[in-house]
Amino acid sequence: MNPALSLRGISVRFNGSRILDSVDLDIAPGEWVGIIGPNGAGKTTLLRAVTGVVEFEGDVEIVGSASATLKRRDLARSVALVPQHPVLPPGMRVVDYVLLGRTPHLRAVTGPSLHDLDVVAAILEALTLTSFVDRDVTTLSGGELQRAVIARALAQESSILLLDEPTTALDIGKQQEVLELVDQLRRERTLTVVSAMHDLTIAGQFPDRLVMLAKGTVVAEGDARAVLDPELIRMHYAADVKILDDGSGGIVVVPIRAQEPIIDSKN
Amino acid sequence: MTGEDIRPSRLHWWWLGGAFVALAAAGLLSILLGAVDLDPRSVLLSVVDRLPFADVESGLNGRQEAILWELRMPRVALGGIVGAMLAVAGGSYQGSFRNPLADPYLLGAAAGAGLGATVAIAYGTSVPATPVDALPLLAFIGGVGGVAATYAIGYSVKAGRTPVTLILAGVAVAAFLTAIQTYLQQRNAETLREVYGWILGRLSTVGWGEVWLVLPYVAVSTIVILLGARRLDVLSVGDDEAVTLGVDPTRVRLVMVLAATLGTAAVVAVSGLIGFVGIIVPHAVRIVFGSSYRVVLPLSIVFGATFLILADLLARTIAAPAEIPIGVVTAFFGAPFFAIVLRSSKGLGS
Repeated sequence: MNPALSLRGISVRFNGSRILDSVDLDIAPGEWVGIIGPNGAGKTTLLRAVTGVVEFEGDVEIVGSASATLKRRDLARSVALVPQHPVLPPGMRVVDYVLLGRTPHLRAVTGPSLHDLDVVAAILEALTLTSFVDRDVTTLSGGELQRAVIARALAQESSILLLDEPTTALDIGKQQEVLELVDQLRRERTLTVVSAMHDLTIAGQFPDRLVMLAKGTVVAEGDARAVLDPELIRMHYAADVKILDDGSGGIVVVPIRAQEPIIDSKN
Repeated sequence: MTGEDIRPSRLHWWWLGGAFVALAAAGLLSILLGAVDLDPRSVLLSVVDRLPFADVESGLNGRQEAILWELRMPRVALGGIVGAMLAVAGGSYQGSFRNPLADPYLLGAAAGAGLGATVAIAYGTSVPATPVDALPLLAFIGGVGGVAATYAIGYSVKAGRTPVTLILAGVAVAAFLTAIQTYLQQRNAETLREVYGWILGRLSTVGWGEVWLVLPYVAVSTIVILLGARRLDVLSVGDDEAVTLGVDPTRVRLVMVLAATLGTAAVVAVSGLIGFVGIIVPHAVRIVFGSSYRVVLPLSIVFGATFLILADLLARTIAAPAEIPIGVVTAFFGAPFFAIVLRSSKGLGS
């Protein structure tokens, strides 16, 4: 089967320094790939290259067609991005915000059709946002906002969904809620998901496959047990971690102090 | 929930209808009142008399007819056109730069037009060997030239180019052009009063010449801006996200700014620099009716026209028979009005 997303030799330079250096990656339709790596590894830049926000060298193929040959509108119908720090227009209601996701399907002049509104209505329902439709987007809580941003991306009805650190601003319960939602949507809508992720335990539990970036290159790739290796993490994150079984087949990554902490020996 | 339950922001017909009622009222008031008050019934009959196939006696004498048709009517029409253009251009600039303080004069249009007008006033009032009035022509060329220079400088910036780069380029261009303008003004001190009067704005006009002169520019510019309203809404989530939604922010900004500049330069050429309209009208509309540009831009056109017609009525009646510069009136009455709207609003975040 053709990959949903195929990256060949992707390099991005900014002011002379290489942010990404010749990244190759194939992602199958319906697969969830987690991109991990320390700060500044190039995770966000990789997602921005795929959506055409930054200029890059190399080739991005989306379901068989080179992204460079696609019009912006067609690219936006194939790939949607949930940004890490969405820009929230003051005074914009949630319904208008989610409807922005229909932009690549609209003609510039005419308004949304009933079909467009139906799509938005179904997504608002699926993401339990129906009671928020008239709220100003700037007044939403972290979890509500993240659902609204995901709803806007889903309204694009693209087959590929990119998520840039989708859980960073959320509490532990909302993190699980949002990622379960992404997983459920992926199954229901056969979405291909690529997410840049910060939390290694969560990265180990949700995506099918992990890719570790460091200094702009792929340094490890495979399932969670292969990539979440204490040696790799020490080398690229400069962190000391232990990998533990979670008791149900998964793993957890916990940070530990390199030196034995001084233990109070009174007890 | 289905699509029929979805209520996206849109322009309701009764909002637009109400705005037109306000405009009609302002226009009528402005036609009737002045140094010579006209009788409403006679004005109506005179209008009917001008319709094809109608022949009625209006009861206005020849002088009153002239006041009505050659002074009041064109002045109200010009005020409406200038106000509508400045307000919708302000809205277009604010959306293009995502900056609530952007106004139609932002990118050097005012400074360029001011320089053009000063040159015209100081060195002759008509183009050599033609009967063409040099002032509007040079003001128009100056306004468009100022913005073109701003764009040229802004686009020559290679790395880190943002909407702010363009605004900063506009600051530099405006400062430079204003320096030249001030120098010329000082060198020709005998024309100081005339230049100053132009800068403060005025709608004093005789006949319909100015109206027909600016109308084509304003019509084209307004249509282009209205067609771009939905794209300005997309731009409100920032350039990067606009790209991921399939919109080219640089192109949208270029088209919207060029359209707004063309229309602004045209009206500035005949009215001088009337300040404040481009900022307060779109903001007042936004506070009352919501922030979608599909609502803000059309309503700004109608309320901008209404606002400037009323401001001009005050400018020529409050100290009659003298006239106050209209730019003074727009700021003097506009600022407190806007403060009241701002206070009674729920607040708009940033």
